[in-house]
Amino acid sequence: MDPGVLLQALVGGLATGAVLGLVALGFTLIAGTVRVLHLAHGDLVVAAVFTGVLVVLGRTPVATTLDPGPALGFALLVLAAGAVLSGAVGWLAVRPHLPDVASGRQGDALGWVAALVAAGLLLREVLGVLLPQEAYAVPDPLRLDALSATGVFSLPGGGSLPARVPAVLVIALVVGVTAERVLVRSRFGKALRAVADDPDAAALCGIPARRVVLTAFVAAGLLAGIAGLLDAPGRAIGVDDGVVLGLAGIGAALLGGLGSLRGALAGGLVVGVAQSLAVTSLGAEYADVVPLGLVVVLLAVRPLGLRR
Amino acid sequence: MSAVELAQALWLLVAALGLALSVQHAGLPVLGQGAFVAVGGVGTALLGPGGRGWPLLVAALVSILAAAVLGHLVALAASRLEGAYLALATWALAWLVYRMMLAFPSTFGGAQGLVRQSPAHLVSPWLGLDLTLTPAVHVVVAAVTCALVVVAGIRMTRGPAGLDLAALREGPELAASLGIPVAARRRAVLTVTAALGALSGAGTVVLLGLVAPADVSPLLSLQLFVAVLVGGTTSWWGPALGVALLTALPHVADALPGDAERGRGVLTAALLVVVLLVRRVLAQGRRTAAAAPRGAAVPDLPHPVRDADTVLLRARSITASYGSLRALDGVTLELWSGHVHALIGPNGSGKSTLIKVLSGELEPDSGEVEVRGTTMTAPGPEQRVLEGVAATPQRTIILPGLTPERQVAVGLRGGSRPRQAVLRHLLATPSSRVAARRTASLVAELLRETRLTPVARLDPAELTVGEQRILQIARALATGARVLLLDEPAAGMSSDERTTLRHVLRRLAGNGIAVLLVEHDMTLVNAVADHVTVLDAGQVIATGRPSEVRADPAVQRAYLGTP
Repeated sequence: MDPGVLLQALVGGLATGAVLGLVALGFTLIAGTVRVLHLAHGDLVVAAVFTGVLVVLGRTPVATTLDPGPALGFALLVLAAGAVLSGAVGWLAVRPHLPDVASGRQGDALGWVAALVAAGLLLREVLGVLLPQEAYAVPDPLRLDALSATGVFSLPGGGSLPARVPAVLVIALVVGVTAERVLVRSRFGKALRAVADDPDAAALCGIPARRVVLTAFVAAGLLAGIAGLLDAPGRAIGVDDGVVLGLAGIGAALLGGLGSLRGALAGGLVVGVAQSLAVTSLGAEYADVVPLGLVVVLLAVRPLGLRR
Repeated sequence: MSAVELAQALWLLVAALGLALSVQHAGLPVLGQGAFVAVGGVGTALLGPGGRGWPLLVAALVSILAAAVLGHLVALAASRLEGAYLALATWALAWLVYRMMLAFPSTFGGAQGLVRQSPAHLVSPWLGLDLTLTPAVHVVVAAVTCALVVVAGIRMTRGPAGLDLAALREGPELAASLGIPVAARRRAVLTVTAALGALSGAGTVVLLGLVAPADVSPLLSLQLFVAVLVGGTTSWWGPALGVALLTALPHVADALPGDAERGRGVLTAALLVVVLLVRRVLAQGRRTAAAAPRGAAVPDLPHPVRDADTVLLRARSITASYGSLRALDGVTLELWSGHVHALIGPNGSGKSTLIKVLSGELEPDSGEVEVRGTTMTAPGPEQRVLEGVAATPQRTIILPGLTPERQVAVGLRGGSRPRQAVLRHLLATPSSRVAARRTASLVAELLRETRLTPVARLDPAELTVGEQRILQIARALATGARVLLLDEPAAGMSSDERTTLRHVLRRLAGNGIAVLLVEHDMTLVNAVADHVTVLDAGQVIATGRPSEVRADPAVQRAYLGTP
């Protein structure tokens, strides 16, 4: 491969991967806390973005540059929608199927699997009814393309990328590493690990286990919202694209060793680069095949995760 | 409804019945039956007439085999005891197959799909077959396939496979502790599910002459999942009801305003939510069903004569730790045939850890476990159970929905592995009938031995705590165990039940079984144990007859804290 093209594929892949890392971080947070595989997490990313689109631009959005006011509103709305939707999914779909000592309820994996695929399907189909086109161009409230006068960022070796790509890479990495640090260091992070270890013992120690679990879902949703804000404006995005995005994030989380926050971020970068290289060398039709195939193969060959 | 629509619904039912085997009977959340349907349909279209030109039946058969292999491989994801990873793997597979069909239009025909002239005749000189394929013939073929699947399914679940499935569904951890190879059984189940899905896909493509991505999309996978959940229980008519609902779904969706495709999706999601709510209500009903107390009259039995004492299990210098915490530190222990060996010690002294090491559940850092002179090498409980070592878990695990009689039969199934038992039962070979009679008499004997005969056919939720604890012992015993590892079997028992337990334990020892008993109740220990070992901080501080151990100053220090 031509070195210029290779560099372009690498940087582009790292940017996609850093965003995937944020999705993977949310997924691994939920998996680590309540031992639930969040099958609707990717749908939350897309649903958060389109909630913002519906409110700010209406049902027939056109690609446009937003004024600072609406841009800020759009960004905040996407973050809030991610947090609220994720919290709602956690409370309504997941919580009733978790084990609960107080009522003697046993965990019901079939129950939360069904509830999460129902939640994802409902989000996709309701948005699909409101937004019937196959894909939409979403405005960038952060106006990252304005970082260079031409909107293009030149790379050594002759390659070039949209100016927003390196910016997305930097922002996603900063957000990811900060979130990881907060989750490891803060009191909330400690409470989270206590609940993950043994919810009953945590409750006995005065940790509000239910609230901690809900907060984990909200935090994962917030990360999903940020991922959506960074990912959606770079491409044409449809309401059904959330599943593949979510599964790619899950692949990243599995690659990093499920439950490891740092692993999730690193796994995201690996998946992003692998996808980008496959697309550059084999063709665009491999864009979905690589991450989806990765999940299937990873689960079959290393069902206990790469770290174990 | 036209004949073609009816045939289509019946082929869909084949896929649903196959999925029911995984979801309802084995409790596996499989979200990718649409992918296996696609493999069957696309494979038949690509390989058969109009594609590679292979004979239709050969093309269909090869596609079904391919799907079965794929199912087997995907089920490797279910090697963990949490079956939920299979949901993830099959969901990803459903999307992978769907997106691949769209991404490679030159092979799969893009959004329009693969179009093949539906054959008018099915001619096979090899089988001496010449069939004119009218819609009515399609209906008959599909209906006969459904009937065969249902009959085979009913027959199978009444035999040894039914026991395996019930154990997988109700308690995979327990099934593993009874020696049932959980991962292998799950792979077998998903292989059958995938094959039936592919059969459905092949039948549909022959019927319609078309296989398009939208017809085998992840939405189909979810719809089949819903169809199977609608039945709710382990009945075989459940999927038929579900498929009837699915067939009605497009008509309802058409009547709704807006895009019909979206309408179907919304309705599927709504159906899934309704099914979940119903499930929850049912589950709550089951929990509130109170256990009826029952008095148990216990006749006193004389101590039976003991066999010659031999060492059945020997543990040498076992060391085990959790992270930096050393739970066992060089523990050596022997269990003799016909002896009840009590293991006592303060909380956290390593008693349960030792049981886990002996049963194979936990790998020790060093040291070895020898059963009847053979050193155990394989991790996990499976090898131990086959060598005759079985453990009961500390907390009570009941298998809801399985009568005590069936639960004991599960244990029996875990301990002995007759080859091809499922197939032989399906074909009703004479040996399978002999085996069935033998199973029934062994179960009856075990229930008598453990005094559970009066409750043998009750709903397990109606058993008292004590009866449930004794049922755990009966289940473990049924594996053919010569060594029983019991972790606090008397927990939660009334004093009457403790008396029963005492008799059961003496009786087992009388039959030459080695019992390791972890227990806090010293009255029970003194009454039943031949030998006592005391653990403290992961080390053996005393071992001997109960009276000797009681008098040991080190034991008194550990228990009472006196210097």
